[in-house]
Amino acid sequence: MLVEVRPTKKLRGAKALDLTASLAPIVDVLCEDSLDLSRVRLVCDWVQYKNNFRDVIDVRPILSPPTNNGREGGAEENKLEIAVDLRRCDDAQLADKVRSVLAVRTDPNGLGRVYLEDWSTGTTSRIWEFNSLYWRFLGVWEKATGRLYEQALPGGESDARNIAGVHELIKEMFTVWDDLAAHNSLPDELYVIELGVGNGNQAKTWLDEFAKLDAERGTEYYRRLHYMMCDYSEHVLALARENVADHASHVSSFPLDATTPMTALGFLRYKVFLVYISNVYDNLPTEDVAQIGGHTYRAEVRAYLPKDVAATLAADFGIEPDSLVSAIDKLLSLGPELLVDALSGQFPDVARAAAFWIAVWDAVKIEERYAPMTGLDLYQIAPGVNGEMLRPLLERHGDVRMQVSNGAIASFVDTLPLLHPYGRLQCHDIFVTDPHQYRTGFLGPGKYDGSIVNWVNGPLLRHIGRRKGFDVSYAPFAHRTGTNIVTLTAQVRD
Amino acid sequence: MSEMTGRSLQSDLPLLPTSVVGSYSVPEWLERLKTDFYLHRISPAHLNEIHDVAIKAAIKDQEQAGIDVVSDGELRRDNDIDYLLARIPGVSILNPAKSYYYDYFEAEVPEPLSSTREESSALGLVEDFVFTRSQTDRPIKFSFTGPFSLSRRIRSSAYNDHGDLVRSLAYALNVEARELVSAGATRLQIDEPFLAGYPDEVGLAIDAINIVTKGVDADWALHVCYGNRYARPSWEGHYDFLFPAVLDAEVGTLVLEFARKGYGDLSLFSRYSWERRLGLGVVDVKSEDVESTDLVAGRIRKALDVVPADRLIINPDCGLRHLPAAVARAKLRAMVAGAAALRRELTGSPVGQNTTWTEES
Repeated sequence: MLVEVRPTKKLRGAKALDLTASLAPIVDVLCEDSLDLSRVRLVCDWVQYKNNFRDVIDVRPILSPPTNNGREGGAEENKLEIAVDLRRCDDAQLADKVRSVLAVRTDPNGLGRVYLEDWSTGTTSRIWEFNSLYWRFLGVWEKATGRLYEQALPGGESDARNIAGVHELIKEMFTVWDDLAAHNSLPDELYVIELGVGNGNQAKTWLDEFAKLDAERGTEYYRRLHYMMCDYSEHVLALARENVADHASHVSSFPLDATTPMTALGFLRYKVFLVYISNVYDNLPTEDVAQIGGHTYRAEVRAYLPKDVAATLAADFGIEPDSLVSAIDKLLSLGPELLVDALSGQFPDVARAAAFWIAVWDAVKIEERYAPMTGLDLYQIAPGVNGEMLRPLLERHGDVRMQVSNGAIASFVDTLPLLHPYGRLQCHDIFVTDPHQYRTGFLGPGKYDGSIVNWVNGPLLRHIGRRKGFDVSYAPFAHRTGTNIVTLTAQVRD
Repeated sequence: MSEMTGRSLQSDLPLLPTSVVGSYSVPEWLERLKTDFYLHRISPAHLNEIHDVAIKAAIKDQEQAGIDVVSDGELRRDNDIDYLLARIPGVSILNPAKSYYYDYFEAEVPEPLSSTREESSALGLVEDFVFTRSQTDRPIKFSFTGPFSLSRRIRSSAYNDHGDLVRSLAYALNVEARELVSAGATRLQIDEPFLAGYPDEVGLAIDAINIVTKGVDADWALHVCYGNRYARPSWEGHYDFLFPAVLDAEVGTLVLEFARKGYGDLSLFSRYSWERRLGLGVVDVKSEDVESTDLVAGRIRKALDVVPADRLIINPDCGLRHLPAAVARAKLRAMVAGAAALRRELTGSPVGQNTTWTEES
């Protein structure tokens, strides 16, 4: 039996985790069972997100590769990964929980879970519909919870509002422009794009400071500046427009899916000097791949509600238990406002619909299994990017599981064509910068308010950037201490 | 054609002949195998065989698309620089390992290179030409990166004047060009993909080009674009910088990028007296959108306002290496169809005045 303990830092120090005490009940139960223990992986994480999709014990079947005649493989008896959240192992019921999840092998419906979907790839799971719902109906969520979304960000505000950082960036851009102007190569129109503009606070800071610094230099770059604000949420885009009203003649706004910026901005190909992104990538759809025993697997997921929680939800909101999934379907497809029209008996007003949304989201969990991949080239990470890009990471780092950050990569590769040869993409987010972090930490998914957070696969972005002709560098966010935020900078290489 | 620009082979070809700039679509599997070579997973012998097969396929694709003057697709070359630099005596490759084949080597010239043609030795490209010649009856264009661009990827403390390094590289290329012509090459092209980034140095670049072409009896072309590294332009601007210096270049054809940038720079051919041929870029190699026949024809028509039909060659903006093979094929077919449509307009025949494919050897 292979035991992998990832949060190794937790094993030392004054508050060291008692690993033996945590694992003993689990190992005892495994030994009671008829499992071939030589084919069991016991993988231990420390899930730091208070709200997450994991149970204290999860069982993940490892499916066999397809047979030679192309038929799908099945779950081999006794080939399992057992995932443990060490943070919650002081549960007195732990042994019982282990027994009950192991029983699923012989009785798939034994846990009585209410499934919201069939097995799916990570990026197409319904959990991303919840994520999308959050941004589309952010105003409803904020009103229901009494919290503005920025308060959910690490540190309570977007890092892009930091004035020192803004000054540094603008001054570096001025230097590039001065040089191009000296060679008569500076275009008449100077474009800057912000993806995920949020409520516009950072755009306002940036534009205010830009106008001020430009006036001091007398270069009149502000006169030529076009600042393009883009966001998925119409709600926050409207707020952003109000916020930058002083710069209205220099600002345009676009409702935009961050994963496909070229759809709206293709006319700016090779024209943009700065693309600015803050706290967007960590919130875009992703799925995991894993190298296990030298084979590559894709983590498939299935969202569910625990049996008891589902029953409580149904009772609290006056929904027939059999109709609960249907009500959730309606919530996801219509949104909380129209849910009031669709199920007026259960949801007399938007506040009640929002309460249902929040309660369901709080309860949603994910089951996982590993499906073998039959060729990296057949796996599409993002449009135009196939799984071969994963090869160096998977080959160099042995058995490892990592997020593919599909949405972030889609956004990244669809943004690069916008950049002028002297342009730059700058992104503040939570990035994995060393593949070793995948062996030592839990990097998502977690729940931030109504949205999903995953650390972004920085080494993969760097590799793909390199293959697209860009140097991608990472540095700790320079203008605030005690933050996990990392600054990605991408610029043309060679 | 003046004596200094070498012989003209235009009469072998139809009106508005079609050609490629040089490189051809590099399949992803080939990129992986090229990288595997650097990771010591396949041998040089196997890689060479793989290249042979890929080149045969590239030539076949061009022939099937109807291209009049074909190339080997430069498929043996990792990129536009390394294949040549690594062969020039006196150029040191500091670290011959790569994690990705397309990366540039770090090249250094610690001591001055041979500064005359007599002291330079050939680079061994003849073998590549001979292989290509053996695979097709069509006219072949053989291209190589010019001395100015090669120099931009070299670190050197051996020269106080960068121009001396550029000229030394030119002598080496001149020797190679003579070898190629001796082996039967008739159409040679110098690529200067870095020149647009250094517009102030165009005079030096042209001087060096004239060293490369001197005494070489070939139909010479010069290709200048705004870069195609990773399918992106490396620079932006206009071709104004080339003129009037390029008028002194001893080449018969100027091969330029237009489709991506627009055709505004065609006016330069009205303003300056370029009475030689223009290789007109009519398909954008940085976009996977396949041009329609009508679009190609319209682009050629624009050029006909300033350059007579018998001095136009129809080609893509640059090499096709970054395009998927299916897109590259479709673009070439569109290009050929567009040229044929114009030919029909001008002569009443889609094939123009000459349909002979046989190339002298």
